[in-house]
Amino acid sequence: MEYWRVLDTGLRPPAQNIALNRALLEARQADEIPSTLRFLRFTPSALLGYHQSAEQELNLDYCKANGIAVQRRITGGGAIYFDETQIGWELYLHKRDVGTSDMQSISRRICHAAATAISALGVDARYRPRNDIEVDGRKISGTGGAFDGDALLFQGTLLIEFDVEKMLRVLRIPAEKLSDKAIASARERVANLKDLLGRQPDVGQIRRNLTEAFESEFDVEFHEDELTLSEHARYQVALREIDTSDWIALASRPASGMPILEAVQKFAGGLLRVAASFDTLTRTLRQVWFTGDIFVSPRRTIADLEATLRDTPLDKVEPRIRTFFAERQVDMLSLTPDDFIAVLRLALKQPLLMPHP
Amino acid sequence: MATVKGCNIPDDLYYNVENNVWARREDDGTVTIGMTVYAAALAGQIVSCTPKKVGRSVEQNKSAATVESGKWVGPVKAPVSGEVVAINEAVTSSPGTINTDPYGSGWMVKLKPANWDGDSAALITGGAVAAAFEAKMNTDGFAGCA
Repeated sequence: MEYWRVLDTGLRPPAQNIALNRALLEARQADEIPSTLRFLRFTPSALLGYHQSAEQELNLDYCKANGIAVQRRITGGGAIYFDETQIGWELYLHKRDVGTSDMQSISRRICHAAATAISALGVDARYRPRNDIEVDGRKISGTGGAFDGDALLFQGTLLIEFDVEKMLRVLRIPAEKLSDKAIASARERVANLKDLLGRQPDVGQIRRNLTEAFESEFDVEFHEDELTLSEHARYQVALREIDTSDWIALASRPASGMPILEAVQKFAGGLLRVAASFDTLTRTLRQVWFTGDIFVSPRRTIADLEATLRDTPLDKVEPRIRTFFAERQVDMLSLTPDDFIAVLRLALKQPLLMPHP
Repeated sequence: MATVKGCNIPDDLYYNVENNVWARREDDGTVTIGMTVYAAALAGQIVSCTPKKVGRSVEQNKSAATVESGKWVGPVKAPVSGEVVAINEAVTSSPGTINTDPYGSGWMVKLKPANWDGDSAALITGGAVAAAFEAKMNTDGFAGCA
């Protein structure tokens, strides 16, 4: 039996947590540490994906006024709001631990194991491509990863008692302003463990479940341990780079480069509304929300469609919508896949007219 | 031209097989670098690419660019040491080019090499390319390029 390490680095500000990401990934790459599961928590933070720009993703004035620290992760994916009402879990692995170099397969395998652990608490958690864990269509855990040579870091959140309204204020996301309606539609897209269980979940139990799920997935045994001296040394170096405004500004693009585009259109099947954030640099649909007075069954279809459309290059939007509906049984009365394409096309019309840079 | 498990690996380029990157010595002495078609296949659809800035020095086997696919971020490691003299702006705005044309319009960075003769001795080229990549693909359990 191979022994891996489990760490809990407690509640920390984001610069420390991200510097530890770098330190542990480097230490794993240098073979100074065994493969490791780390639990972590954050003081209120707005965390950018590695390639994202704070101006485009966050309401910086709100963050500043409310003491929310802005940080850049070393992992990919989208911006998130992270505070004490969530816990983080991370795996530091060697490529041989996962038996493949295909990055999507690695994500799928780790997310399946994490979903098993969350499900054992009494909810039906599942992996949803690309890289979410959801309960009945609502996201409960977002994930991202980084690699360097043979070392991998894969990390996830777990929403326990998440403040959806705060998330809407912190992130620049395509919700129709900050109305009750927007808050209600945000609640339909994220799931809280506490709400699902109808009681405060036991964080110790969550940690044990995740630990056991990864033990069983990778056929190893975890031992509790502390950070090593080499990790401390690497952490100090990483912190000097990461706890700076230069690191946060590493990618900086104006908010106008990622407009939030809205459209509404009346169809025979009802009124369909769309809000989309569109990256004009890469001509990519970053995120899209569909709402409106429509009937769609199963209900989760809309959330699944939105997940499918994340980070979709403009020329792939239509085929992805068609494939999505072709692959499943959906009852939408007289609403059609073409209606979703039409309203989205209406919203995207402005940047489509702009010349390619 | 070599084709390994359906992946095009041109044998006139220089490779660091472990890091899955290529280098081409240009007539003006600069070295163009990028990811192999195999690296792009493992990554999946690339959604972001940030090359190091012009004027920066990069050491051999250290990051010359950072790419993101499927929420994974990782470095593209320079096959040789040198100073960045040009970056491909087109891969910043169209990162998918790295998947579709990794040896052509999907190049990432041009370096002024610090020591081409010394550094390139560690790279493989020509007839040895196909076997080296086949061995790597077997180790990685890779079925083939689609």
